[in-house]
Amino acid sequence: MPVTLYWLQCGACSGDTISLLNSESPDLVELAGLLDIELLWHPSLSNTTLKGQRELTERLLSGEQRLDVLCIEGSIIRGPGGTGMYDATDGRPKKDLVAALAQKAHFVVAVGTCASFGGIGADGEVEATGLQFHKWTKGGFLGEDFVSKSGLPVVNLPGCPCHCDAVSGALSALATGAPVALDEYNRPENWYGMMVHQGCTRNEYHEYRVEEAEFGEKGCLFFYKGCHGPIAHGVCNKLLWNRRTSKTRVGVPCFGCTRPDFPQPYPFFQTRNIEGIPIELPHGLNRAHYMAYKGMAAAAAPDRLKDRKTKI
Amino acid sequence: MPRMTMNVPLNRVEGDLEVKVEMEDGVVKDAWSSGTMYRGFENMLVGRGALDGLVMTPRICGICTTTHLTAAARALDMAAGVKVPDAAVRVRNIALMAEHVQSDVRHGFLMFAVDFLNPAYKENTLYDEAVKRYQPLKGESAAETVRETKRLLEIIAILGGQWPHSSFMVPGGVVSMPSATELVQCRHLLANYRKWYESRVLGCTVERWLDVKSAKDLETWLDESTSHRDSDLGFFIRFARKANLHKIGKGHGNFLSYGSLPLPEQTAVGGTDGMLVPAGFATGKDVQVFDQAMIAEHVAHSWFIDYEGGKHPSKGETRPYATGNEGRKYSWAKAPRYDGRPAETGPLAEMVISKSPLFADLLEREGPNVFLRQLARLVRSTTIMPAMATWLNEAVKEGGACYNPPGNIEDGEGYGLVEAARGALGHWIKIKGGKIERYQIITPTAWHASPRDSDGVRGPFEESLAGTPVKDPENPVEMGHVVRSFDACLVCTVHSIDGGRDMGRLRVSI
Repeated sequence: MPVTLYWLQCGACSGDTISLLNSESPDLVELAGLLDIELLWHPSLSNTTLKGQRELTERLLSGEQRLDVLCIEGSIIRGPGGTGMYDATDGRPKKDLVAALAQKAHFVVAVGTCASFGGIGADGEVEATGLQFHKWTKGGFLGEDFVSKSGLPVVNLPGCPCHCDAVSGALSALATGAPVALDEYNRPENWYGMMVHQGCTRNEYHEYRVEEAEFGEKGCLFFYKGCHGPIAHGVCNKLLWNRRTSKTRVGVPCFGCTRPDFPQPYPFFQTRNIEGIPIELPHGLNRAHYMAYKGMAAAAAPDRLKDRKTKI
Repeated sequence: MPRMTMNVPLNRVEGDLEVKVEMEDGVVKDAWSSGTMYRGFENMLVGRGALDGLVMTPRICGICTTTHLTAAARALDMAAGVKVPDAAVRVRNIALMAEHVQSDVRHGFLMFAVDFLNPAYKENTLYDEAVKRYQPLKGESAAETVRETKRLLEIIAILGGQWPHSSFMVPGGVVSMPSATELVQCRHLLANYRKWYESRVLGCTVERWLDVKSAKDLETWLDESTSHRDSDLGFFIRFARKANLHKIGKGHGNFLSYGSLPLPEQTAVGGTDGMLVPAGFATGKDVQVFDQAMIAEHVAHSWFIDYEGGKHPSKGETRPYATGNEGRKYSWAKAPRYDGRPAETGPLAEMVISKSPLFADLLEREGPNVFLRQLARLVRSTTIMPAMATWLNEAVKEGGACYNPPGNIEDGEGYGLVEAARGALGHWIKIKGGKIERYQIITPTAWHASPRDSDGVRGPFEESLAGTPVKDPENPVEMGHVVRSFDACLVCTVHSIDGGRDMGRLRVSI
């Protein structure tokens, strides 16, 4: 029996869909074949007419058409004043369609940070929120007790955009019945159980506190350039982007785009600090120990790093 | 006379769009283009850090993400008064060109050509072939397009870390200079892509295509060999002619290009006024000098707080206001105008303004139309790829500093104008006390999806739809062709809102 999938875009930029097209081995076309996915609807890829989509929606809501996976891309827009009419389809708020479809779906997947946590617009006049979280707080649009027919809550796949392997991997696991362990933010541990920092080729600079103060110097971006690598979960430096590299490897700070508070309210490209020590330290460590260690590490830094002789 | 009004929602335009049309005797008499949702990007940027547009604006659109980054970086270059070194100019250009090249074919074969599978064409002798090529996720050309464009995009990852949504361009240049060996990798990726594009899309070499300089040359080219006829370009021409796509979607005949791809000081690539893609405003073939001061946005028919006439974006305001009962206001998109006139932008506009002989000839014979817009889009890569290869070669040989530190930008004003795959994109920024005081964005789709202006003049979608014959109002595929020929990208209409009105009109779908 094919796996039926319905993909809806709400407050979205299409970035997660575009990112999914980056999939390789299997690519998106191959994956659809391997999992026997029947794509009921996707706003960019389908050639179903909107009339056909409307009929499909009716069949889904009546239960006549089985819905295995509901993917939501983009935030749930609730404005103005809770009406949701800033994002409407066919004269009705799209949020109502999401709520109705979520009740019918076996699995509900939030693709990207906006669908997971609200993301862009979560603090704005559009009153955006995530499917089951509003930033760090459980609840969001569907409420903290929501579970889909499978018994799972919304599976969150944050990232702006979400890494293609997290989407294809999660879909593969759900479709084949492989276990999917979720963390406290309902993110599969497989793709969110590590820091962006892990695997960054600039790790040694971080280790010895050799810092990049100006772009192009080569150094760790954590101390001055606002890099979130050690404080954001993600596979960027494990699975890499476009099969090649990552932002931090080429010298673009990690902006923490998988975090529930993305986009941060304070300026990008700079690290908030007290006396040169970042306010937010790497995930899970003791401030006093860290400061002592960093002081010694900087003194112990090898010349090849201090002189930027390393070809990284 | 059968007279009817219908609301037509559109998919495959990246975002939602609703067009209301008035039909008489099977022909569109008048049209009203209405935007989608309000995302409030401009207002979100106010009060943020001076550089935050580099992170926030690429996220306006997952398709033109590098283009928004370029516009944001150029606006900051100007605000900081910093000169971008040659090496960085090349890196920025190469990334932008990779984004354009992939976008043009993805739109062509994943968005536009999918309409050839519409039931309206079941009797067309080319229908089965169209299904074989363009069926979503299954068609041969569709699958190859996904595969090959994805590989080309690895170039942007090598230069900028990832695609989509990187922020590797910063005021004064780019954050790092790729090594010579990485640039050679980029060269390989481009060469491989070009090989595929020549064999699958063109059916000939880029050089052979560039010899096509008139309507007659085009006919000769098509008849010259089966590889030309059977290529995706050849198939497009045959299908489009058969479906009379050269007879619909005329529009105003005003063309706008902001100009793009600045030339490094030392380069073998030629251009006009320091840019590979020239800037200009054309009425028909008559090209005038472009001046950004002539841009203004109107809100007379848009659900924003009224002001007199049009406002230049550096003075622009985004203050949504609607009760839904204002009468003449019917859209949440503003109406951008150049010298008081609506304009279309994108590949065809670039061809007209750069005085391409082929497009000048076709324009004179058939006027602007759906076929011509798509033709321009499908062959634009033939002029982009050679320059891209030259810049890659120069980058390998010359290397050089990629960044000229601008210091903190406390106060300043600037704009970044660039050509996105689908046309003119502009960012206007004002910084005060290290924070963004004003940010205004006009996207190409804002130009195209524009409602009427203060003088009641229609926007390009509206004008192009007027006069379009629609055989079956239940399946108005012709309207889909017209709107999609502009490569509409509605997620980009950053200050548009869909009021979600249901006015009780007949709703049909395409």
